[in-house]
Amino acid sequence: MTTQPDTIRTAKPAARPAGAQPGRGRRRERNPFMALSHIALLLWALLVAVPLLSTFLGAFKSSDQILNGKPWELPHHWSFSAYGRAWSTAHVGRYLFNTIIIVGFSTFGTMLLGSMAAYVLARYTFRGNRFIYLMFVSGMTFPVFLALVPLFSMVKNMGMLFTYQGIILVYIAYSLPFTVFFMAAFFKTLPSSVAEAAMIDGAGHAKVFFRVMLPMAKSGLVSITIFNIIGQWNQYLLPVVLLSGDPNKWVLTQGIAQINTNAGGVADWSGLYAALSLAIIPVIVVYVIFQRQSGLTAGAVK
Amino acid sequence: MSQSPAPKGLDRRTLLQRVGLTALVAGPGVSLLSACATSSSKKKDNVKANNSDAKNPFGVKATAPLDVVIFMGGYKDDYATKGHEPIYKKAFPGAAIKHEAITAIGTTLQPRFNSGTNIPDVVDNSGTAQMDWTALASAGQLQDLTKLWDAPSVDDPSKKVRDTGMVAGKPMQMNYVATTFGLWYNKKLFADNGWTAPKTWDEFTALCDKIKAKGIVPFAYAGKNAAYYMYYGIIQSANKLGGNQVGVDVDNLADGAWSNPAVKTAAQKWGEICQKYSDKAYLGLIHTQVQTLHKQNKIAFYPSGDWLENEMKDVKGADGFEYAICPYPDMGGDKLPYPALRVSAGEPFFASAKSPNPAGALEYLRQMLSKAGAQAFFQQAGSMAVVKGALEGLQLTPGTQSVVDAQKAAGSSVITWLNFDGWYKDLDMEARNQTNKLCYGGGNADSFCSALDKEAAKIKADSSITKQTRPAIS
Amino acid sequence: MRQGKNRFIIGFLAAPVTLYILFVIWPYIQTFQVAFSRWDGQSAPEYNGLDNFKNLFSDSKFTGAVEHHVVMLIALPLVTLTIALFFSFMLNLGGSIQGGRLRGVRFSGIYKVIFFLPQVLAVAIIGVLFSTVYQQGSKSAGVPSGVLNAVLQAVGIGGKDQIGFLTDSNLALWSVIGVMVWQAVGFYVVLFSAAMTSIPKDLFEAAALDGASRATLFFKITLPLLRDTLQVGWIYLGIAAFDGFALVQVMSINGGEGPDNSTSVLPLEIWNNAFNQPKAGYAAAMGVALFFMTITFAAISMRVTRRESIEF
Repeated sequence: MTTQPDTIRTAKPAARPAGAQPGRGRRRERNPFMALSHIALLLWALLVAVPLLSTFLGAFKSSDQILNGKPWELPHHWSFSAYGRAWSTAHVGRYLFNTIIIVGFSTFGTMLLGSMAAYVLARYTFRGNRFIYLMFVSGMTFPVFLALVPLFSMVKNMGMLFTYQGIILVYIAYSLPFTVFFMAAFFKTLPSSVAEAAMIDGAGHAKVFFRVMLPMAKSGLVSITIFNIIGQWNQYLLPVVLLSGDPNKWVLTQGIAQINTNAGGVADWSGLYAALSLAIIPVIVVYVIFQRQSGLTAGAVK
Repeated sequence: MSQSPAPKGLDRRTLLQRVGLTALVAGPGVSLLSACATSSSKKKDNVKANNSDAKNPFGVKATAPLDVVIFMGGYKDDYATKGHEPIYKKAFPGAAIKHEAITAIGTTLQPRFNSGTNIPDVVDNSGTAQMDWTALASAGQLQDLTKLWDAPSVDDPSKKVRDTGMVAGKPMQMNYVATTFGLWYNKKLFADNGWTAPKTWDEFTALCDKIKAKGIVPFAYAGKNAAYYMYYGIIQSANKLGGNQVGVDVDNLADGAWSNPAVKTAAQKWGEICQKYSDKAYLGLIHTQVQTLHKQNKIAFYPSGDWLENEMKDVKGADGFEYAICPYPDMGGDKLPYPALRVSAGEPFFASAKSPNPAGALEYLRQMLSKAGAQAFFQQAGSMAVVKGALEGLQLTPGTQSVVDAQKAAGSSVITWLNFDGWYKDLDMEARNQTNKLCYGGGNADSFCSALDKEAAKIKADSSITKQTRPAIS
Repeated sequence: MRQGKNRFIIGFLAAPVTLYILFVIWPYIQTFQVAFSRWDGQSAPEYNGLDNFKNLFSDSKFTGAVEHHVVMLIALPLVTLTIALFFSFMLNLGGSIQGGRLRGVRFSGIYKVIFFLPQVLAVAIIGVLFSTVYQQGSKSAGVPSGVLNAVLQAVGIGGKDQIGFLTDSNLALWSVIGVMVWQAVGFYVVLFSAAMTSIPKDLFEAAALDGASRATLFFKITLPLLRDTLQVGWIYLGIAAFDGFALVQVMSINGGEGPDNSTSVLPLEIWNNAFNQPKAGYAAAMGVALFFMTITFAAISMRVTRRESIEF
């Protein structure tokens, strides 16, 4: 039933040979436009991959090869010394540790407090509900750097400057708008019958929340948790404002950005590539695993 | 407080900003802090100095405890716990010393000062969260250190403390760490090739030709984040050429200060050096990247302060690399003689006026300023204290030894430090920009000077910016 | 039970609301207050009316940054959305016609995974990455070439001196925009793909039956139906064009200002005024100005692109 919609130009054959798939009425369109498009797609994929790959390869190379060779060459000798330098001398290991600690606590706190607030706002009516809800949600429209200086003063006055607890609390506060917005929407969709049944059985509101509603909201919790982890993992602005004074507490993003400025940082290129790799590869690994698990591009994978 | 990626030198430079800030001038020729000094010394001068007692000029009670706060930063605090505090303890065995190492000085100490309880005696008020000096002075919290400068020196009671320092002491700040700025090269590389540090500009360019012929880049600085090292050098040359007043005029935003013939000549000559003997690729590099290439013998001369050797100690360099400093070469007709070096002091300490043991605080500082104190500091923190000749005869790292030698050769010819980069950030940034244009962008001295005069004039005319000045050099 | 309910509500809201007011709401309010005063960030602010705002217009750093934002505002959405549209069309509808249905090209799933990858990386890390990619190399100076210069040299572009993408005042801003596009395209490819798959296939089939070319399919059917998504993308990218802080501070020389101050952006100037100088009040005023510029842009965009939604 299909027609060949376009004029079939006979000039150039398609970039690909005729496909191997059998099938009824399947026709493949060949024209230069298609070829160009394939090339464009490939080019962009290379554009994404090549900077990353040359960084990963560069981490293994000697200074000599980095200077005199081409970035896309394989290393002549695979040396792990740059990774060692990046991990300990340049403190990337410590930054990774700091980031895990901070993001771990912050995400937990965000999800806990965010869900609690979202639940109450979504399922209970009381005076001020709308106001509080809008107060949280409006936070998504304000850029963080607007609040930086008063925030810095506030944290300083509370004696929490350059501390883990300070930045964790701030992370939680700034992650609340997004979390409350989405979790509230999610909680609204849950049926009340189960909650009512539990209450009739004598469970208090809090118990209902923790034992009944939260488990029902698992899928929403999981995806919002992941978004929060990614967002907090990649934070740069807040750590630079609130943690700069103590390099021992730096997170990965600011550590890599300032990799050459703290004592004993790596100043050679293989070390820099190694540090970048240490920061990027784990993220890619998690990303790919996540892709396979949940199919972010589900429905589009052919 | 600078949050952008900055070199380690900048931390010290930020300290030096604070040095500049204490010269805050509230009115014509009146220093705010000295005014406060007189008022506070009238009210709370409970430390009477007896300069005939060389061992205890401040009358410290033998059993009075001492509370010392050290900023936990680049220098750490071992120099206090393993150096200065034991020295004090030896003099006053009955005194208990409470030691505190703090990163966020202001956050931790300001409440104590404000409430009047638990005020420490000695404070190393440094770091990005340090307490505001002017505010402390206004509240009468700082002792007048004139007594300290007038007291007999620990090593030679016939000399006053003020005479044993490389840099003049301030009324309320004791700046402990001396920083020398100059051109750095590899002693071994030069010895192997029969090269010597150039004294005149002609010698310098001839040497650069030889170096270039060998395939080594004669000169470089890092354009991405450390262009100020380069303009420090330009002004250093200008000061040497035309006298220290040149730098004072620049700091004071005097009209046409940047177009002073000395500055123009310095800019022109250094621009030529960069254009002929450097490489544009360094414009995009950070200081540690250029410094690494320098340590690997890819670059011959690099302008920096004496923190360089320590900063690069963990980086692998060429075999047998030895840091050596040399003064900036004569440009012809220089007012200051060849070996003149640029020295200044940072890492500020103060003695509290309202603490339990003010006399002990002064004595502690006095001991820090002794040769033993300076040596202990060097051993633990790897940097030089302001005490003259303290390190002579010690086993020193090559870089530090060369600094000591160069200081000895320089004698009293001191090129003074710039302050405007801490006072007026806009001027600092524009100076960096113009320096990059001049040196790596193929620019010329005329546009360098006129652009910076323009920026200085803009700042001068802006009434919302607090102005500071340096006194004229007589 | 009523007592219990109120206690419960308060109990559950206390911590989040307190934290939020303390660290988010209060600082934002303070910023708006402080924008009207002179404040060094430490001592008490002194009210100075509209002085800060008046000074903005004569501040060449402010106007310079605004000029850069105008360039980014035009270039970023245009380039990103065009590329993303093209790619998502190819990936979803550019392939074979199978069993009567338009398919995407082969490997479209893999392409999407690759394209989206830059989105999950931190901007600051991408900044450091591209500092190395854009590096102007010089063998004699001992400086290795970045990947981009290496590729260009390999194909014969660029003379003896490599190109200083971040150090040439004519190129620096475009290099920054390039990185922003690099990071953003993948997100919109996925977004548009999701939107495209929700367009009923019968529309395409009917059109194809009538002899419509692929180009016609794209312009007459896909594009109009994607209008809402495009609008959202336009606004988000426009808002991003008012930012650029982390990228510029990490990648660009001279603390982010760039060669000859060619890459300055407002968040950077705000930062410099607030943290590198004692001008926190002025910085707040700049922040407020930036905020209003962003809101105005979003409002105008929404108005201009407003249309009835198409029911299908």
